[in-house]
Amino acid sequence: MNAEELAAAVEGAVPGAVQAQEDGIDMPTLTIAREHLVDVCRLLRDSHGKNFLSAVSAVDFLGYGDEVAGYFGTESGRDINRTGSWGTPETVAAPAKRFAVVYHLAHVGDGPPERVRLQVLVDDGEAVPTVVPVWPTADWHEREQFDLMGIVFDGHPNLRRLIMPSDWDGHPLRKDYPIGGEPVQFTDAV
Amino acid sequence: MAVTPVSISKAVRAGDLEQYVMLTTIEKAMAWTSSNSIWPAGFGLACCAIEMMSLPSPRYDIARFGSEVFRSSPRQADLMIVSGRVSHKMAPPLRQVYDQMLLPKWVMAMGACSSSGGMFANYAILQGVDKIVPVDVHVPGCPPRPEAVVDGLLLIQKKIRAGVPPAYELEKSKA
Amino acid sequence: MSTTERQSAPVVPLWTPAVIPDGAPSKIDPPEGEDLITVNFGPNHPSTHGVLRLIVTLDGEVVVGLDADIGYVHTGFEKNFEQKTYWKGIPYSPRMDYLAFFANELAYVGAVEKLIEIEVPERAQWIRTLFAELNRIHSHLIFLGTSGVELGAISLFFYCLRERDTVLDLFEMVTGVRMHDRYPQFGGVAEDLPKGFYAEAKKFVNEMPQRIDEYLDLVAGNAVWEDRYRGIGVIDADTAIAMGLSGPNLRASGVPYDLRRAQPYLAYDKLEFDVITSDRGDAYERLMCRTREMYESVRIIDQCLEGMPSGPVMADDRKYVLPPRHELHTSMESLIHHFKLVTEGFRVKPAQIYYPVESPRGEFGCYLVSDGGTKPWRTHFRAPSFVSLQSTAMMAVNRYVADLIVVVASLDGVMGEADR
Repeated sequence: MNAEELAAAVEGAVPGAVQAQEDGIDMPTLTIAREHLVDVCRLLRDSHGKNFLSAVSAVDFLGYGDEVAGYFGTESGRDINRTGSWGTPETVAAPAKRFAVVYHLAHVGDGPPERVRLQVLVDDGEAVPTVVPVWPTADWHEREQFDLMGIVFDGHPNLRRLIMPSDWDGHPLRKDYPIGGEPVQFTDAV
Repeated sequence: MAVTPVSISKAVRAGDLEQYVMLTTIEKAMAWTSSNSIWPAGFGLACCAIEMMSLPSPRYDIARFGSEVFRSSPRQADLMIVSGRVSHKMAPPLRQVYDQMLLPKWVMAMGACSSSGGMFANYAILQGVDKIVPVDVHVPGCPPRPEAVVDGLLLIQKKIRAGVPPAYELEKSKA
Repeated sequence: MSTTERQSAPVVPLWTPAVIPDGAPSKIDPPEGEDLITVNFGPNHPSTHGVLRLIVTLDGEVVVGLDADIGYVHTGFEKNFEQKTYWKGIPYSPRMDYLAFFANELAYVGAVEKLIEIEVPERAQWIRTLFAELNRIHSHLIFLGTSGVELGAISLFFYCLRERDTVLDLFEMVTGVRMHDRYPQFGGVAEDLPKGFYAEAKKFVNEMPQRIDEYLDLVAGNAVWEDRYRGIGVIDADTAIAMGLSGPNLRASGVPYDLRRAQPYLAYDKLEFDVITSDRGDAYERLMCRTREMYESVRIIDQCLEGMPSGPVMADDRKYVLPPRHELHTSMESLIHHFKLVTEGFRVKPAQIYYPVESPRGEFGCYLVSDGGTKPWRTHFRAPSFVSLQSTAMMAVNRYVADLIVVVASLDGVMGEADR
């Protein structure tokens, strides 16, 4: 099924859900509206056989497409991504919102996995409904993205830090979080 | 068979004394025995732990150097081999395990990550375990070959036999 | 209340399949009650699965509550990848799952190769397949050995380490290092196989099946081993898929899903091998699936050795691939290419890709988002151990504490990739 057919099927069952579709390099990619996410996931699991959630990832698009891609205004003084960092010659369009939460689905059983990617665009502070009722494996995936990216998942049964110490400040994988470590001579080189 | 007692002065002449008796200091004797029975507490964290696991293996056998067993309990171990990258979350347990070891104790920082943070100069990794425990030997490598770790172990043995105090005493004297 | 009157919590019988709990799937909350002890397993404990911390609530010897606390070896890999150009990121990739280091490298290198659309020569694909299978054997050997250590059957460990050193000798012969070679490069592999490799590898292939028989001789059929492993940690196919298990964990529950067959990559579609499944889904079957996979890996290595095509091992596209070193002395273009590739790096078109490989632990996937520049914008690695550790609680609850060790061992988790 390519992206267009899949989008039509999803739109038919859950109107207003699909915001965009694209036949990516490796799998069809649908951009889903936040409020319809759980219904779309349930539809894909029950009617389209996507019984396996591979991964939940979050991407921070702060500064995407700027001339010099890097970390912003860091306090540590070790902004090593600034010197010698070559950005894009032409600008690429940044997505409409700051974060994208990406779900990779597959069909596990007989035959090829027929993977599908769903993405949900959110701003800082907007919550995404949890898909744990649909695929229980999303439990730790969502906790990890909450921990490292600061995305709140509405309705998650156990939303607390998983990877960083429980009293850690900040969300390390965000683009405005510095790389950290210690300043070392000559480390500004790429 | 009856043994006829013989007086020592007849059996052993003065020049033969060196063949029968070894004279040494208590420190040297203790150093010789403790250097040949260093039992590691493997603090296996990451990739270096896998190379550390091959130390008792048939090929790189460290039991021949006296490190017969890897003691899981820090109370029974002499040498803490910090093998792998130490994250900030792991640093308090590491210090706690070090504190539980009984004196005298030695620490080997195995690999680049425990010596200096290795290739991970970032928010998550402690840049060198010598920030929280006194280290006796650093073994470079990523991961170091088992022979390199054996070399580090032999260096510690040499250090003990030479009478150099373990690293925590040197730190105390510096402070 | 005298101790003879008090009953400890009931123990579920063997062969009871795990049930996903209500609330959080990965955590079992302990019931109310007196005389419950909360014990801390780890993060430093003798079971060599790395730094895993389990907060276990016990009623006598029975596990009634479990919560896993991970992150003790969190290294910030994903942030480090964003700092380095694509080529300089290759040495970071094997250090995540440090037992299956080759699979990690293949996932990252494969993802970027798909984005830059470079064609990898066939010989390089076959060499990569050969090493991927050698790495699979390496990982399963350590799994088998440490399973023994955890039960106290330490002899098995020494047998497995003996073979592991032979496997690492083969790696060292070709790549120069035992572990964490940066051998897969964009466009192929770093160097060709040296002259003595075929003979050494053939020797290994000929004697390895007998060695695996030796291991099975030690443990399979051993009454203590079977008592400890059979019927523990049973999970059925639907629960396993819902919990995201993959690899041998899933195949032991009866689902014949292997990425080498379902979504072939490298040279797997040209090779003959069986996908090992079982239908009982307990810890013993997971162990046996992995052991039998070693036989299949030996088969694949043999086919790779016999059928290896000749040709270059590196693509010729100088925009992405470093020129051979001898050319740097004579050709100005090569020098400039080399300089630009090492300092600035190549640019990758803005796109996103998810590239999974069949690591010895399951589906290891690299999700890569590029922004058109020379450094990745975001990398996220889907680690199978991260996912399978979620199932520990439901498999271990209401059984004895000794079975908890068996459950954790049979899931074959590596904390380096779980924490990343």
